[in-house]
Amino acid sequence: MESDPILLPIPISYIAGSYFLFSIDAVTYLRREHHICGVLSGTLPQIPQQNVFLGLPLKLMPEEARLLVEKGVACIVDEVNAQRAGMRALAADDRRKYLRELEAQGAHAMRLQTSRKELQREEALRKVQAKKAAAAAKKAGADAAPDAAGATAGSDEPAATENPSRRASTTTTNSEIHAPYGTTMGITPATSHPPLPYSPATSTTLPPPAVPPSYPLFAHLHADGYYLSPGLRFGCQYLAYPGDPLRFHSHFLVVAADWDEELDLMALVAGGRLGTGVKKGFLIGGAEHTRADDAGIMGEPESVRTFSVEWAGM
Amino acid sequence: MADTDEAAIHMPSQDGSAHIEVDLSDETQDFRMLSNISFLSDGSQASIPKRGEKDFEPNPTLYQADVLSASRQAMHNALSYPRIHHPKNQIVGVYAPIGPVAPPPTTSNLESITEETQPTESPSKAIGNVHPDACVYVANPKSNLFKTMGQADRWNRIWLLPEEALFMLERGSLNIHWPRSEVGYDEDEHSVEDSEIPMSLQAAYAAFASRGGLNSERFSVYTGLRRLGYTVTRAPGWDDEAEEASSNEPQASENIRQQGAGLAGIYSRFMKWLCPPSSNTALGPVAGVGFHRSYDDIYSKLSIIPWYDPTANLNPGSPAQAPYRVVFHVYKPSTPFKKSAPPAPDFRIAVVNARAHTSFPTLSQLGALLESTPLDPPSSEKMSRQLYMRLRHGYRNVILAVVDEGVVSYLRISEAAFGKEKLYKQKAVANKTQYRPKPKGR
Repeated sequence: MESDPILLPIPISYIAGSYFLFSIDAVTYLRREHHICGVLSGTLPQIPQQNVFLGLPLKLMPEEARLLVEKGVACIVDEVNAQRAGMRALAADDRRKYLRELEAQGAHAMRLQTSRKELQREEALRKVQAKKAAAAAKKAGADAAPDAAGATAGSDEPAATENPSRRASTTTTNSEIHAPYGTTMGITPATSHPPLPYSPATSTTLPPPAVPPSYPLFAHLHADGYYLSPGLRFGCQYLAYPGDPLRFHSHFLVVAADWDEELDLMALVAGGRLGTGVKKGFLIGGAEHTRADDAGIMGEPESVRTFSVEWAGM
Repeated sequence: MADTDEAAIHMPSQDGSAHIEVDLSDETQDFRMLSNISFLSDGSQASIPKRGEKDFEPNPTLYQADVLSASRQAMHNALSYPRIHHPKNQIVGVYAPIGPVAPPPTTSNLESITEETQPTESPSKAIGNVHPDACVYVANPKSNLFKTMGQADRWNRIWLLPEEALFMLERGSLNIHWPRSEVGYDEDEHSVEDSEIPMSLQAAYAAFASRGGLNSERFSVYTGLRRLGYTVTRAPGWDDEAEEASSNEPQASENIRQQGAGLAGIYSRFMKWLCPPSSNTALGPVAGVGFHRSYDDIYSKLSIIPWYDPTANLNPGSPAQAPYRVVFHVYKPSTPFKKSAPPAPDFRIAVVNARAHTSFPTLSQLGALLESTPLDPPSSEKMSRQLYMRLRHGYRNVILAVVDEGVVSYLRISEAAFGKEKLYKQKAVANKTQYRPKPKGR
């Protein structure tokens, strides 16, 4: 998809208690190679008045961020401090270079837009012309209805001769109109990579994120190839998709449980009925406590067992 | 029969579930649908595409792989769309890391220098009525968005709160520049002069998303509603520590209680005086012995179970505790909104982080939250006719926005007063036009 290889580890920004990705290349890379989808939480600048298609930044669950850190694919950056320190340390040269870069991009964007507008204008003109020609042909045809053969030949000819001349005239005006090179578009970049360095300073990297006790189940399902997304809106902890959620519906409503946890039968019934009602399986699972983690006792993803509940019609 | 049961689940029945609109934002949509929208026309005209077809599960066909990679490519393209600002109508804001300050005297005109002497001494106070959390100023506020956002200072600059600035930057309507003091120029801390260096989206999130009480959950709710066209403002409960201003005006409660003392009322009072209700139910029937001239009397005597009246003026309990506090006032797009004198909000929203608060709020938390909202009795003409609508609307209401890692669910909580709906007083006709409660989509 993108030609540039991704530099690892990918910096994940920790801001206001959440984990964000701002680079589109990182987002597509992680989605393609590591089945990490996150939740798009930003506004798409091209259609800002809707909630169906959202844009950058991508918000990652702590589980997702933790998983990527454990795989060595990503690291966590204390973005607030990194930004402040990094921007304050900018030298005059950096600033000038950055501004020049942005100016070049802005000029490019401006050229693109003016040429696109020109194309659009041309297209519109051509449409108007075609309409006019069609109307004229119709009129001519109606006038010379008895002499049909002669009329079509007659009406065809002016249209044919008219078009090239007009097209020639528009192309000449087109070549005269240049993109106004003096003016450039203002640009709001998505990432701070230039001017700030890609890899964060060690002083601003953070330890792996704290994760809820459901993490072993999350890691287990992820390792099995499922794509997971937050599921509270659907009455569960995670939604498990068999493939990329762009193309597939989810198969399981996932709820984590402790190894020795006593399950409320009502919760099982409610979950089972809910899952069946939306044509999904209700999946419950957890890990045996084998490993003591700094965040507390945590099971290995390998020791996770899962059960799915389905309402059977008998 | 389990079978019919299940069929009922799968097949939407005629009444209720037929009304459930498919909420496209519920699930991930195929970004290829997005490319159907022509970006050449202006964005506001673009219609949202229909939901795309999805496959059941992955299979090793090349066809499926192609479709998936096309979807991903479309997503990549859509997300890499740049935020560009045409120089003619670009709106530039400047980040002020220390909050609202007066412009430096060098840039001001000669005439204003005389009044400049005071502001320089105490910059944050002289700025006027700008919110202290505001951190971006815009010198050329030419956008419709400023009708519902920002506060002007004495120098005709508009100051934006962090969430407003971040939202505008994110939608590509605002270009925020770093101040000179933050990008390595050797200047003092308080200088907020424009450095011409634009802030990236990443830098803006870092600077604003945790500023002045904002957090990523609140911002998710804010932008989500703003994108849909609602006007969203901060409510008094925004600051976790701050004591909430008494929004508990005893406005409508008075005239509700003083009702129905017509001629019939006098008569019934007279009858009550004639045969006083016996309070002793241990001896004899609950309805009491004596004359019963109407069923209403009997029923009212039978209603011995106390019930909660939301309109009663209780002595205020404990104040609402975070996170169960109203943090946003929301106005429908149709509500005329004036920044200087905002009307009463259409909705009040409390924001809850589902990861930090995993259980449903307790009765006392909810009670305190509802008590912090003004009385909103079901008084419209339509509701006076329909019992179920009255019950559903309730006497106080608040919306909980539960945010689970960026996915927001909205729950409306209202205080229904079943005790106030005396069914025995209803005419039989009133029940003919039955109102079926619409199931909420989310």
